Amino acid sequence: MVLTACTPGTGNSSNTANAKPAQLHMLYATAEADAAAVQALVPQFKQKLGVDLVIDTQPYDALQQKVFSEFASGSSFYDIVIVDTPWAPALVGKLEPLSKYLADPKLNDVAKTDVADFIPKVFYDTAVYRADSPIAHYPDSTTKPDPSAITGKGFDVYGLPIQANALVTAYRKDLFADPKNQAAFQQKYGRPLTVPTTLDEYQQVATFFTRPQEKLYGTTVMAGVGDWSTDDFKSLLAANGGNGQLVGDNLSLDFNSPAGVQALTYYRNQISSGTVPPGSTAASWDEAASSFDSGLTAMTQNYHALALDPKVKGQIGYAVVPKGTGVGPHFGTWMLSINSKSQNKEWAYRAITWLTAAEQQLAMTKNQLHPSRVSVYTSVESQASDPAVADFYKVLGQSLAVGVGRARLTNYTEVSHAIAVAVNNAASGKQTPQAALDGAAQEVRRVLTTAGYKVPGS
Amino acid sequence: MDTHDSQHAGISTARVEAGMRPAAAVTSRPGGGGQLGAWVLMAPALVVLLVMTVVPAVYLLYSSFRSESLLGGSGSFVGLQNYRDAVSDPGQRHALGITVAFVVAAVVVETVLGLLLAVPLAAQSRSNNIAVTVMLLPFAVTPVVSALITRELLNPNYGWIDYFMGLVGLPSHVEWLSNPTTAWIAVLGLDVWQWTPFVALILMAGLQSLPQDPVEAAALDGAGPWQTFRYITLPMLTPFLAIAVVLRTIQAFKTFDSFKVLTGGGPGTSTEILNLNIYRVALQSFRTGAAAAVAILFLILLTLLVPVLLRVVGRGTDPEEA
Repeated sequence: MVLTACTPGTGNSSNTANAKPAQLHMLYATAEADAAAVQALVPQFKQKLGVDLVIDTQPYDALQQKVFSEFASGSSFYDIVIVDTPWAPALVGKLEPLSKYLADPKLNDVAKTDVADFIPKVFYDTAVYRADSPIAHYPDSTTKPDPSAITGKGFDVYGLPIQANALVTAYRKDLFADPKNQAAFQQKYGRPLTVPTTLDEYQQVATFFTRPQEKLYGTTVMAGVGDWSTDDFKSLLAANGGNGQLVGDNLSLDFNSPAGVQALTYYRNQISSGTVPPGSTAASWDEAASSFDSGLTAMTQNYHALALDPKVKGQIGYAVVPKGTGVGPHFGTWMLSINSKSQNKEWAYRAITWLTAAEQQLAMTKNQLHPSRVSVYTSVESQASDPAVADFYKVLGQSLAVGVGRARLTNYTEVSHAIAVAVNNAASGKQTPQAALDGAAQEVRRVLTTAGYKVPGS
Repeated sequence: MDTHDSQHAGISTARVEAGMRPAAAVTSRPGGGGQLGAWVLMAPALVVLLVMTVVPAVYLLYSSFRSESLLGGSGSFVGLQNYRDAVSDPGQRHALGITVAFVVAAVVVETVLGLLLAVPLAAQSRSNNIAVTVMLLPFAVTPVVSALITRELLNPNYGWIDYFMGLVGLPSHVEWLSNPTTAWIAVLGLDVWQWTPFVALILMAGLQSLPQDPVEAAALDGAGPWQTFRYITLPMLTPFLAIAVVLRTIQAFKTFDSFKVLTGGGPGTSTEILNLNIYRVALQSFRTGAAAAVAILFLILLTLLVPVLLRVVGRGTDPEEA
């Protein structure tokens, strides 16, 4: 076949890993990691590699259970598996380390792998682990990724990042540009109405736009019990100079700190001052997005793609979340990893290098992929025909560059839940921030201990 | 009520008269060949039963004594540690209390409302058939879907429920899911909406199978509708009430979707039922040993509870106790 003759990897040795398969099976997320963007490139994938890419998609909870059960059963069915960052500490032993593949020129023949092009923080947080100590973060997360430096420090690469999400601020450009608002703000606060860059400015602007009689509120919070409130809190914790990962690599409970109290106090003030819509202490990212999309708020902070209802007749602008004494919007990235039991590891590797290459990521932005490479952000900012799209990608790239991920714990979900309960209790005024964090520290210590971690001071 | 009446009342307690033998015993032949044949015929079903229920149950028990996670690793025998962790965790005890409170409230409300629906709808007529079809619709909706829709309906900013409450002069802008009391009303309301038709269906079937003779006799004796219902119909309906209560109790203990979607256990931990915790430990952290211990304790609780329920609710179903 002409197609096969033109495709890479032909004529190699006959061992199983090298033999070209007819199909590669990939287990992927649905909307959470933008399956549509990847699926749109399947025909080009076939053309380039001469292999059919069969993609099975699942929504988040079902996907997590499917991924874990596949690995638990030792199945080799899926060659490529998408992995979310909270799952990775438990899965590292089941994923194929990629450093030797990255170093082999013969296996990097379908796309320019260029690991140094990945956003450093995203790459290290998502894909770089120590197999003997999955809790450890790579010590220098701001240098350009270099596989030999990574292995030199005892770490390895366990996937290639594909969909990077970060908390960003979205605001109503039309309201900010309105001369009446500008004049009123100037008169009230003695400074021009600008997009807030600090926590204090953010609260001031939110207060200014809060006009319940006009069905308008300043901003949103996601203070319901769930991952969303933990993520809100960890971003504020980082903005107040704390460790946004919540728990240190040495299992120090960093969220229970003066910075944590400041973060929760600010959060509570946003709610008690009435600058967020009613029901915010039960809201998730869905309610926050729909509140902003329906024109109920002037600003929001979210991970969702946002689109104003046509009836609102407004425009959206984006900004990096405001800073305090520090900055660190919560981020989390999906990576494409190779099943260590796969019979087609080398072709699976070629597949993920092609799918995560700059050219393909840029093409996927037409379907709203959130890229993981520096060069793709540069390209999409300059090439996007819609200024709002260019603005969004510019801000997303900036946010990912300074973002903060999660603690690497096999039972992170339980830890996150304990903190979410504390955030909710403080947000609703049921407990003081300090009391809520003390309670969370006690519960986090318990769930870590029962999971086999040795927490200092226990 | 004598034995004759209880038979008329449709009570289905099977009784084997002295001297009668079950069919298998009648057909058995000397030497046990018939029993062997019966075992051979039952073998496929028994193997399926063994593989699908007994083996997982035994494995669950085995896991509960180990510090296992789904992906293997350093699993080891830990004795009763998982059980000690489960029992000593105040959060776990709180969740158990919340779960029991929910089950009691849901089953009581659904039984009362189910009875109130079943009595008028038991009479077979065209209009009742239409009403029954409509009544069954909530029962047919997937719980997670109904929970997602309810969450939208309860939104204090654009939900329909607040809107219509405002129209009829009730307090609007209620932050349903932000306050423990209203959050409880929401999850209970959803459960009642979804499962009352199930109870009503069982009770309707019961009412339609009841003999009319005692009712007619009571009417001839001058009993009013309430007296007839209280002293004739309700006692005869007791076995069906027992079935409905037991089934709903077991189902209610298994409730998960509505809490996960509507409240996530919040505000705080005010609606944190046991199943949410089991889900997090078993299906998000995959600490199967710890989750197995909680599940075994839960199973023991249910196993003890069902006979008690049958005894309490089903009192009077045995003609000899009547």
